[in-house]
Amino acid sequence: MTGGMAPPIEIGSIGGGLAVEVNQRSGASPMSCYQCAKCSSGCPVAAGGDFQPHQLVRMVQTDQRQAVLSSRFLWQCTSCQTCTTRCPQQVDIAGMIDALRGISLAAGSQEPHSAVPVFNEIFLDAVRERGRVFELGLMLHFKLRTKRLLEDAGKAPTMLLKGKLPLSAPRVDGKDEREAMFHRAAEGGAQ
Amino acid sequence: MSYTFFPGCSLDGAAKDYHRSTLAVAAKLGIEMPELKDWICCGSTAVHSTDPLLADALPAKSLSAAGGSTVAVACAACYSRLKAANHHIAGDPGLRARVAHVVGRDYDGRTPVLHLLEILCREIGLARVAAAIRRPLHGLKVACYYGCLLTRPPEVTNFDDPENPMLMDQLLEAAGATPLAWPHKTECCGASFSITDSSVVLELGNRILAMAQAAGADCVATACPLCQLNLDMRQKDMERKFGCRYNLPVFYFTQLLGLAMGCRPDELSLDSLIVGPKALLEAKGIGR
Repeated sequence: MTGGMAPPIEIGSIGGGLAVEVNQRSGASPMSCYQCAKCSSGCPVAAGGDFQPHQLVRMVQTDQRQAVLSSRFLWQCTSCQTCTTRCPQQVDIAGMIDALRGISLAAGSQEPHSAVPVFNEIFLDAVRERGRVFELGLMLHFKLRTKRLLEDAGKAPTMLLKGKLPLSAPRVDGKDEREAMFHRAAEGGAQ
Repeated sequence: MSYTFFPGCSLDGAAKDYHRSTLAVAAKLGIEMPELKDWICCGSTAVHSTDPLLADALPAKSLSAAGGSTVAVACAACYSRLKAANHHIAGDPGLRARVAHVVGRDYDGRTPVLHLLEILCREIGLARVAAAIRRPLHGLKVACYYGCLLTRPPEVTNFDDPENPMLMDQLLEAAGATPLAWPHKTECCGASFSITDSSVVLELGNRILAMAQAAGADCVATACPLCQLNLDMRQKDMERKFGCRYNLPVFYFTQLLGLAMGCRPDELSLDSLIVGPKALLEAKGIGR
């Protein structure tokens, strides 16, 4: 943490709680970590995070639920998989982060300043609705939702001119089928 | 040779140039690439960050429609998601059953998925590629940039060495170019943060371009729509923010290969590059 006094650490049951949930959700095994920090060394965004990947793994081990689920880093991770690839203990750290994002969203405890959850929601809606992502529509929708209409507005004419923003929106048949798929996935795919 | 082509959303959008140049190169090599009918989005990072089961189910739906024939992919993100779904489903009968319930039909996770680089280097072979070269890219120093998702994690993609992949280097060398040894082949460009927080892309992309320049590159070659877009479209912004000058064209590797095989610039959509390659290609006598 930078500046001020660090919040008190509340340790839950070691190896229980969050570590078990992460494992069930993603198959990742945070309890295998021995804190070599190789994940953080290779992480492209660790330097700007509130916590670094190896710290988050330790906090999952010690079940520091609130601090983990509200960490800004969950939404700064680019999912580049460098951590998972280099971990000498085969901890799927990127998978762990994915699982934590889901748990954080379900608990409503995600940190509020990231636009990533909004982007993900719009992306999923587009896939459910059309079967494919229409990039121009996705970007406009995102800009309206986040009130950032002017950001990158100068890029649009160049992109249009270069043929990089086609105006026709793709659509695949089978919307009802996709709706049902999304619904069954949200229920965990149990028969 | 014939492969079922899964283009993915970007190749019908911002990466139409990648799509066009891929088909142009395939035609030169006599590779048929009929498009997979009614393919749907692979889900990309947005879905695997939200719902792991759906992240396996979306690719399963498309792959089960391929009828077991080998699926060819150009986009690194699609490749990663299709391969991850195969890896998960083939290795876990319980998950396979849950995915079958979500999709509405069983899929065994065994439809082969190959990236274009794998097809060209390992199935067509470098000798056949070299035999199709009409205008070698002599004197062109290229930083081959693979990005994250082709190589990582290696037990899922089984693509090439995860720290120092060479497939694109070998291919462009066969086309007469000079691929450079440089350390940022697989560093992350920031990917979809281009939309949610572009400052991340400026920072990460700048590190990649600075390293390519320090290695003496004339240009960068990519194999991923987001890598290309981030390094090309935001290059001017990086120059402004960090006070440097790159002027490095960022090609898709298929565009360079197509040039070497004698395709016309319009067949390769060279006009859609934002950092224009004309001066560089003229200076090197390429494409004449």
